[in-house]
Amino acid sequence: MQQLADLGDTSGSKPGAIEVRDLSHVYDGVNGQVKALEDISMHVAPGKFTVIVGPSGCGKTSLLMMMAGLRAQTSGELLCHGAPIPQPDPKRVGVVFQEASLYPWLTAVQNVEFPLSLRNDPKTERRERALQMLALVGLEGFADRYPHELSGGMKQRVSIARGLVQDPPVLLMDEPFAALDEQTRMTMGHELLRIWSTTSKTVVFITHSLTEAVYLADEVLVMSARPGRIIDRIAIDLPRPRTYEMMATDKFGGLRERIWQQIRSAH
Amino acid sequence: MKPSRLPSPQRVRWAMLVATLLAWELVPRAGWLPELFLPSLSKTLLVLGSDWSIYGSALLITLGEVAISMLIACGGGIALGAIVGGLARLRVLLMPIFSSLYAVPIVILYPVFTAWFGVGPESKIAFAGIYAFFPVMLSTAAGIRTIDPQYLVAARSMGATLSQQVTRVIIPASLPTVFTGLRLGGALAIIGVVVAEMLTAAAGIGYLVTLNRTILDSPRVFAALLMILLLSIAYDIATRKLERRLLSWQPAGRSTIAMRGASSSPTTNVSAA
Amino acid sequence: MTRLRLALSRAALLAAVLLAWDLLPRWEVINPALLPPFGEVMSALWTLLQRPKVHDAIAVTSAEVLVAFIIAIPLGTLLGVLIAEKPYLGAVFKPLLFYVFSIPKSIFLPMFILVFGITFAQKVAYAAFTTTFVVLMSATACVESVKNEYIEVARSYGATRRQLILRVYIPSMLPMLLETIRISMIFNFTGVMIAEMYASRTGIGHLIGSWGENFQMPQLFAGIVLLSAIAILFNESVRWLEERCSNWRT
Repeated sequence: MQQLADLGDTSGSKPGAIEVRDLSHVYDGVNGQVKALEDISMHVAPGKFTVIVGPSGCGKTSLLMMMAGLRAQTSGELLCHGAPIPQPDPKRVGVVFQEASLYPWLTAVQNVEFPLSLRNDPKTERRERALQMLALVGLEGFADRYPHELSGGMKQRVSIARGLVQDPPVLLMDEPFAALDEQTRMTMGHELLRIWSTTSKTVVFITHSLTEAVYLADEVLVMSARPGRIIDRIAIDLPRPRTYEMMATDKFGGLRERIWQQIRSAH
Repeated sequence: MKPSRLPSPQRVRWAMLVATLLAWELVPRAGWLPELFLPSLSKTLLVLGSDWSIYGSALLITLGEVAISMLIACGGGIALGAIVGGLARLRVLLMPIFSSLYAVPIVILYPVFTAWFGVGPESKIAFAGIYAFFPVMLSTAAGIRTIDPQYLVAARSMGATLSQQVTRVIIPASLPTVFTGLRLGGALAIIGVVVAEMLTAAAGIGYLVTLNRTILDSPRVFAALLMILLLSIAYDIATRKLERRLLSWQPAGRSTIAMRGASSSPTTNVSAA
Repeated sequence: MTRLRLALSRAALLAAVLLAWDLLPRWEVINPALLPPFGEVMSALWTLLQRPKVHDAIAVTSAEVLVAFIIAIPLGTLLGVLIAEKPYLGAVFKPLLFYVFSIPKSIFLPMFILVFGITFAQKVAYAAFTTTFVVLMSATACVESVKNEYIEVARSYGATRRQLILRVYIPSMLPMLLETIRISMIFNFTGVMIAEMYASRTGIGHLIGSWGENFQMPQLFAGIVLLSAIAILFNESVRWLEERCSNWRT
């Protein structure tokens, strides 16, 4: 495993949207204690698109859940915009899950409104905001459709709209396109970049797809197998806006290769 | 698909219904079957009309018994089913016992209830209540398991409090299952009450069947049978309409969530009686 | 929990229930005239099993159950397969089947009595009638459960119709067929019991009814225990067979 110089400095000159310092996590498994994450330190600058890749079971989802406030780490520090996040805080962090997890008894717009209705925001404001979000993700005409009437890609778009509806500065995405077929995945990736470019959010995105990682990211963090550690940070300096044609370039291939090498050697 | 020159299935069913009614009228009149076995439809309806007060009050008694049994079976069955289904330990321990017990015809318990409670409504209610209880409980237990746990994770990520998780997520997600339980419970309660009234009773529609059979008054027997038939069909239609309206957010077909979870066999939720 | 612990827990549960059944009436917490202690029920059962009258009743009931079953299974299977094979028939009849199951089929009992009188034939006919519907529905589901892919693969290798049935349909349907037999028997048994309790001069159902009428509670409960034991035994045996044939199912 390579030790890379750029792994060291995590304090940075700008405060990060997400700061993780020496985070470790241990839980009680069937046969004793299991170390899920080990000495994770990372710094995600505001407005950047960071992708985390790693083998199955390396703890990347757990890490994301901690950033979302859904889980607590056993040691180390995790700050989101300067403050810890012991509980979910939808005003700071929006989450998009792999299974869209839309509520089937609500229409698309009602699903997007859901977080606002939990806070008892006034109805008209909620509705307007939700419709705005749906327009942002390209689903204007579909506000009154039920999830069962929507395709997989459309459901994920609603899920993204829901994650953005409270305008959190940070958006966490856990393999959101994993359940989609490849063509839809590529379209959705492109769409996501468009949405991101108009909203300047900080995004942390987990994926198994190396192509997706290179295509979307400003920076790719590679994790090792359990106990998960960050073994590489790879800056993706491809120009934006990204295009499909870039995927055919040598540079793209080279970056992919590098990630793949890291993952293979991490097993 | 080739353009069908066959009439639509709907039409065929209506045609069959009409044919049955016609046969019911004409076959006894023409003497192909003795009036004892099959009184004509018109005779049956006439008797129903003339004795309307008797049939009406019997129907009310039966409905009352059904309502209370439904309360027991659905109230208890859904509540217990949710608990047993939701707690893995309980479920694993108890479910096999319950499905073994399913093999026993519950009707053999009815004499116990008449011995304990007499011939009045209590024995019917006790019997029908128990008769409907287990299928409702089993169906609810299975249905509860189909609720996606991710729904709660998503709710938490959006900042839902515990009570919001229950009221805004768990309850709506359980509606299809609860509704199936209600529908099933009602149908089984009707069947249970009718069987009980036919066996040993002093009042109710089932009692009228038995009473008139023993005096060989076929038109009155069939009038009572017709009422029972109409009652169960009306209940079925009404609940399915209600279900379609309330659960319009479900994908095509009836309560797919509930049905998927209910059983792998198509027959677990139907009644043997 | 391991399987052994589970089995033991269930056995313990059962033992606790039976113990309560025995002790609570003995201590008069529950009125023993209404619920005789389990021990008393068991000795009543033992006595009953010695009596020829009871043997006759068991014989009659068993005969009715068997004959009704033998009629219902082929009949229901034939109709069920027909409905599964001809989509048009399915479209016409399937919605009707749902209604059929909401209707108390016991309302047809008086008709059978009017036609057959109170006889062996009447009970068999009624039970066969009610069971046929279940067999029908299960058979249809069975046939439809055979995945199209299995059929396509076999046909692409040139399987004849006979081979299709023997080598694809039947092995694929076997667990479900066993389940059909198991569930149909439950319905069949119930049908016979209802018929015997409603109007009959013979059979265990009739005996149970008259014990109840005469407040012979120990005998009544003995009969219930006997019938339950037989029903559960049959059910579990077939279920065991089902499991052995199902090890390839997901």
